Formats: sequence, structure tokens, C-alpha cells
Amino acid sequence: MRTTFQDELNLLETTLQEEGALVLRALRGALNALEQRDHELADEVIAFDDDVDDRYIRIEEGIQSLLARQTPVASDLRLVLAILHINLHLERMADYCVTVAKLSKLVPDVEPSPRFVEGFEEMGSRCEEMIRIALDSFSDRDLERAESLVELDELIDRANRRVVERILELGSSEAMREYGLRMVIVSRALERIGDHAVDIGEQVAYLLTAEFREFTDASHKTAHEL
Amino acid sequence: MMNDNVTIPVDVAPVEIAQERGAPETAQREVVFDVRDLGVHYGSTTAISGVNLEIYRNLITAMIGPSGCGKSTFIRCLNRMNDLVPSARVTGNLMYRGQDIYGEGVDPVAVRRQIGMVFQRPNPFPKSIYDNVAWGPRVLGLKKRLDERVEKALRGAALWEEVKDRLKRSALSLSGGQQQRLCIARAIAIEPDVLLLDEPASALDPIATAAIEELMHDLKRDYTIVIVTHNMQQAARVADMTAFFSLEVDESHRSGVLVEYDNTDRLFTNPSDKRTEDYVTGRFG
Amino acid sequence: MAAATPQVSLRATGSLRRRRIVNKIMEGVGTAAALLAVAVLVVVTVSVAVRAAPALSWDFLTQPPNLFGGPGGGISSAIIGSALIVGMATALALPVGVLIAIYLTEFAPRAVAAPIQLALDVLNGLPTIVVGIFVYGILVIGHLQSAYAGAVALSIVMLPLVSRAAQETLLLVPSALREASLALGVSRWRTVVGVILPTTFGGIMTGAVLAVARAAGETAPLLFTCSIFSPDVSTDVTKALPNIPVLIFTYSEQPDPALHEQAWGAALVLMVFVLVASLGAKALLARSRRKLGR
Repeated sequence: MRTTFQDELNLLETTLQEEGALVLRALRGALNALEQRDHELADEVIAFDDDVDDRYIRIEEGIQSLLARQTPVASDLRLVLAILHINLHLERMADYCVTVAKLSKLVPDVEPSPRFVEGFEEMGSRCEEMIRIALDSFSDRDLERAESLVELDELIDRANRRVVERILELGSSEAMREYGLRMVIVSRALERIGDHAVDIGEQVAYLLTAEFREFTDASHKTAHEL
Repeated sequence: MMNDNVTIPVDVAPVEIAQERGAPETAQREVVFDVRDLGVHYGSTTAISGVNLEIYRNLITAMIGPSGCGKSTFIRCLNRMNDLVPSARVTGNLMYRGQDIYGEGVDPVAVRRQIGMVFQRPNPFPKSIYDNVAWGPRVLGLKKRLDERVEKALRGAALWEEVKDRLKRSALSLSGGQQQRLCIARAIAIEPDVLLLDEPASALDPIATAAIEELMHDLKRDYTIVIVTHNMQQAARVADMTAFFSLEVDESHRSGVLVEYDNTDRLFTNPSDKRTEDYVTGRFG
Repeated sequence: MAAATPQVSLRATGSLRRRRIVNKIMEGVGTAAALLAVAVLVVVTVSVAVRAAPALSWDFLTQPPNLFGGPGGGISSAIIGSALIVGMATALALPVGVLIAIYLTEFAPRAVAAPIQLALDVLNGLPTIVVGIFVYGILVIGHLQSAYAGAVALSIVMLPLVSRAAQETLLLVPSALREASLALGVSRWRTVVGVILPTTFGGIMTGAVLAVARAAGETAPLLFTCSIFSPDVSTDVTKALPNIPVLIFTYSEQPDPALHEQAWGAALVLMVFVLVASLGAKALLARSRRKLGR
């Protein structure tokens, strides 16, 4: 029954996963461009954002059409709403990747400490891991995996703080100071990508439990922050 | 040392939103019908069996489900219209405000005085519009200030403005939607307690349907409303509580059963029973 | 290159043509039968009218028969007598017939309704002469003939007709109307009186009118109950009153040809009455159909 409807839903989900895969590529590209000071790669990443935007719009339009025509209810409705939100989070992630790519072009040609570079690489791979887990937990409808994103985000937050500390250690030459400023923004971009991945996890939880719930509450201090 | 939260948290809601899944708001409401293990049999066929639910005052309760699952049979128990079918037999308990509707010495006529019904196809009497509404009260002894009563009923059915200048015309000259509203006016003219509506809009066009749905929102202030509908979206739009009936078939027999009864919102966003989920998402029947 | 699609013939050929011919023949036969029925009616009416013509006059309708059976005089006493007898019979048969119909359609359980229905059908088919003898046995033996005995006999003949017509009309009332009234908390009986009867009024009246037309011409019951009468105009129903069917019968047995003509005249009056009544019944039925919204 309702095969056309089901096909439409499946198409939306497939397109969403495609968009997710594109975001992963964009992130990897941006990180590489940053690390290797590859301006060409950075330009590719920036241009690549169009592909993501294209899928974003297709999904938005598809959902609008589905809601108008098919009146989804119950689990169908929750799926459509989850797709709508995840779509937005993915698009924001892609925008942050573009930010990183642009910054990689603006960064002055300095040689930062290896510890510093390590820190960034760690953050970068955490982000990739989180995006993968978020997308997999959605396609597998896996609540536990979705909830595990909170802890990973903790790690990114800590890595972000460490990076900021190390920026302060970088040195006081003008080039270094500029480098530091740009890196703060890159670090924040990566941290925000992690947050969006958690948000995707929350959407998965909503889909499965029908509860609107935030995994953590940013304004309430958790145990290890106190 | 830099504290945490270098970032400015503008796009994260500060409060954790927890959905309360505890007692529904219906716990505060008066129970009008208390149905326990109700069953209806026509000869050797079982139409419905094992129905348990409570219907609350001043709410709209909808019965949905595929054809033949017994929702009309159920609603006809509430005002003993099933008595009109010679082979019908009712088992179980049906309490209306604490009294057993099928108890000893209960007069079905008195039951129907309190529990009115509007049918699927509009069925006005072949009398004038005025007489259609006035006849019931006249016969039942409510003769005082009849004109006022008729006007109040027609206003209550959102029909007064359209017919006030032609009250003496035959009711059959009205359109389908108007006739149905006339039937509603006729039912509320005798000031019942409960209104039963058996697929009241299924014979009407979309605009007339919308008018009837709008009307129900107003009517529930004064009456308790129970509606049977085969249109799920209608139940989703108008009902506060929704009951989903389905057919249970096993080797020896088939009968209608109540599968799930809940807050409409919950039933349509996160039903508890898979059968309900399959039905409302259109995956079956 | 010739077109690949085969031409579908739209003309009737073969079996289609045969069916068309058969159709036309049957139409013709049906029409002829209908015309035959009308023709019979026309022939009867015309021959009665032709033979009645000499007797017709204003006096014929307004004067009673001559005292000593001489020429002149009319049939006014018989017209009045028939009116009274048929009127009383209707007063008896109509309410009872309608009540029976109401009981059968609205209240009776199937087990009770079936035998009553059967009884009515048998009564309908009962030879009217048997009805006459029966009423004779009950009301006339030991007393005298009377108009009311005649009325009783006629009412027995009318009863199944009225009842059947009322039943059919009652069955035509959609059950939705009954349900609507019952759902208001109105009792069964009040539903019948307030909703069902008003809608069936036209149909019941039609049945009543047709029953009256039939009863006006029944001779056999009156022969036993109301045939020995004085020819004067009278309204005393405890005595036998003159009436048209018996008058036709007795006049036709007289040697006087003038009386024969009067018999034809009376027969024509009766036919005209039946015709007017039938047309009236049709008009009533049409009006009641409009009221029901059909």
C-alpha cells in the first residue's frame, strides 16, 4: 500500500545520506587543504558546496511536497521531520567546511608546533567519526549509537579547549598572532560540526522514541565541569 | 586559564524539553460512558467483542477503523438503536453516568431522549424547516417558547442565518450540507446530553464537511460528542480522543475489537499498537 | 500502403440485426396489447353510453322512480342510497384497514405478521357473494334487510383493498425517517402518527378512493342484505335503501324497455363515478409523491 509514498520517503532518505557523504568529503578536503596549505584543494572544496546545496534544496522541496500531498502521520511524520532537521544540520556542517577551506587560504605561511598540528588532526578525525556515526545511526535506526555521540562531542569540546590553550603558547610575532586568530575560528568551526552531529543524533532519538529531547543541556554544568 | 564555553551558545535551547508521558489530561474529566467488555451479536455472528473504554464529558471522541470493524455497531449501542435490529444481542456492561443502559426497566425511549443521534445520510422529515426542529420538542412536551427553542437550535447548528427567512419552506428544498445541519439542529433542539454522529459528513462535499467539523468544535462546549468516521484525517482534525477498531479474524470466527484508545495527538504521532500504526500510516486496509 | 487498423462496422449485421427485428416485433406486440385494453374500455363505455342516452336527463338524476313503475322518474333515491351505504362502509373499512396496515408494518413480529397477511389475502380473494350470504346470516336473518347490513358487507370487501394499499405506502417510507424520529426519543406510536402517517396520507387516500370505486359497484353482497326496498328517497339506514347496483339488476329484469334504458343510464352513472374516482386517486398520489420529495 502507498508504494508511491514509500518510494518518495526512501528517495528522501537516500538523498540525505548522499548529502552526508558529500559533507564527509568536504570535511576531509578542507582538513587536507589546511594541513597541506593546498589552495587549489581549498577552492575545490568551496566549489563543492554547490553539490551539497543542491541536495539540500531537493530535500526541502521534496518534504514540502510530501507534507502537502500525503499527510504523513505517526512514524512517517517523525521520519519526515527528522529528515527535515538533519538536512539543515548537514547543510550547516558543509558551510563550516567551506569556512575552514577559506581560512586555510588566508592563513599566513608559518610553521606551528607539531603538538599543535596533532591537536587539530585529532579534532578533525573526531569530527569525521562523529559524522559517520550520526549517519549510520540514522540509517540503522540505532538509538544507542546515536546517544554515544554525546561522549564523542565531549572529546571534541576538550580538544577545542586544548587547541585554544596551545594557540596562546604559539608566540607573539605578528604572523603567529594572525595564525592564532584564524585557527581559533577553524577550531570553533570543527567544534560546531561536532555539535551538529550530536543534533543529528537527537533527531534519530526523536524518530525512534517520539520524544523531543536534548542529549545534554549546555547551560547546566555536567559533573566533570564542576 | 580560559574557562570552557569559548563559544557563544546562541543556537542551543537552554532548557531540556521532556515530554511528559504520565497521566493524560482526561484524568480530570467526568466519565459519561463507562464501557466494560461490551459485545454485540447478530444471531450467531459476532459484530464486536471485548470493548473497554471510557468516554469523557465535553470532549469529541472519534471511532476510526476499516469497514466492517464494528464502529457503527458500537455507537448504536450507546443509544440503544441496536434494539431496532431483531436479532441483535448485547453482552457486557454499558454504564451511562452510572446507570446501566441495558438494565432492568430502562426505557430505550428515555435513553434516546438524553443521547441523540445524527445519521450518515441527512434524513429531515418531509415537513417545513421550522416543523422539523419544533416537532421533537412539541411531542416530548417542551412546548413553551417554541420559537426561541427553534432559533437557538438553528443557531447552534450554524444554520439560522441561512434559513431564518424561509422557515416555512420544506426542509427538502435545502442542500445536502444544510439538511445535515438541520438534522443536527433537530437533535439539539431537545437538549440532549450526548450527541452521536454516525459518519455525519461522509455524504457531503468538502465545504459542507468543513462546516460540520467547525460546528463540532462549538458543539462540544455544551454536549459530549461521539463520532464515527472512516476518514482518518477528519478524526485527526476534530477529535480529542480517538478509538481505533479493527477486525480480529481467527479460525472459528471474526469480530470487531478495540485495538487502541488514546489522545488523538498521541495516536497519530506515536501509536502504541503496531496495528494502529499500520492503519493510520495507510500501510493496510 | 493500406491502413493496418481493421474497420469496425457500425451498421447492424447478423445477430445484431436479428435482435433488432425481434425488438421491433415485441414493441409492436406490446403496443397492440395496450391498445386492445384501451379499445375494450372504449367499446364498453361507448356501448353503455349509447344505450343510456335516451334515459339521460336532469330529471333522471334528481327524481326518484315512479311509484307504480311507470315511465318518467329517475334514480335519485338509488344515488342517495348508494352514497349512504358506501359512505358507511368506508367509515368502517378505512380506519380498520389503516390500523391493520400500521400494525403489520410497524409493530408486528414476523411470526405474527405472516398469518395475518395471509388472512387478508384470502379475504381479498373471497367471492363477494359469499360475503353477502355471510352478512345475511348474521345481520339479516331474524330481522329485516337494512342499509347498514349492506354497509357491513361492503366494508368486508373493501377492507383488504384499503389495508393492502396502506401497507404498500407505509413500506415506501424510508426507514431513515423512522430512525430519525426514534433517535429523538419519540415513542414508536408517536413516530407513526407524527412522521409516517402524514407522509403516507396521499397513498392511503388513493387506496381508499379505489376501494370506494370498487365497492360502489358490488352487487352480490347487496342482493342479500339490501335489495328489498321501497323506491322513495329515504335516509333511514335501518331499513333497506335503494342502491344503484341492485337497481340495475332489477330494472334489467323488467319487461318495460323504458326501465331498461334507465338501467343503462344507471350503469353509465356508475362508470362515470369510477372514472372520476380513479382520476382523483391518481392526482392524490402524484401530490403525495411530490410531498415526499421524489
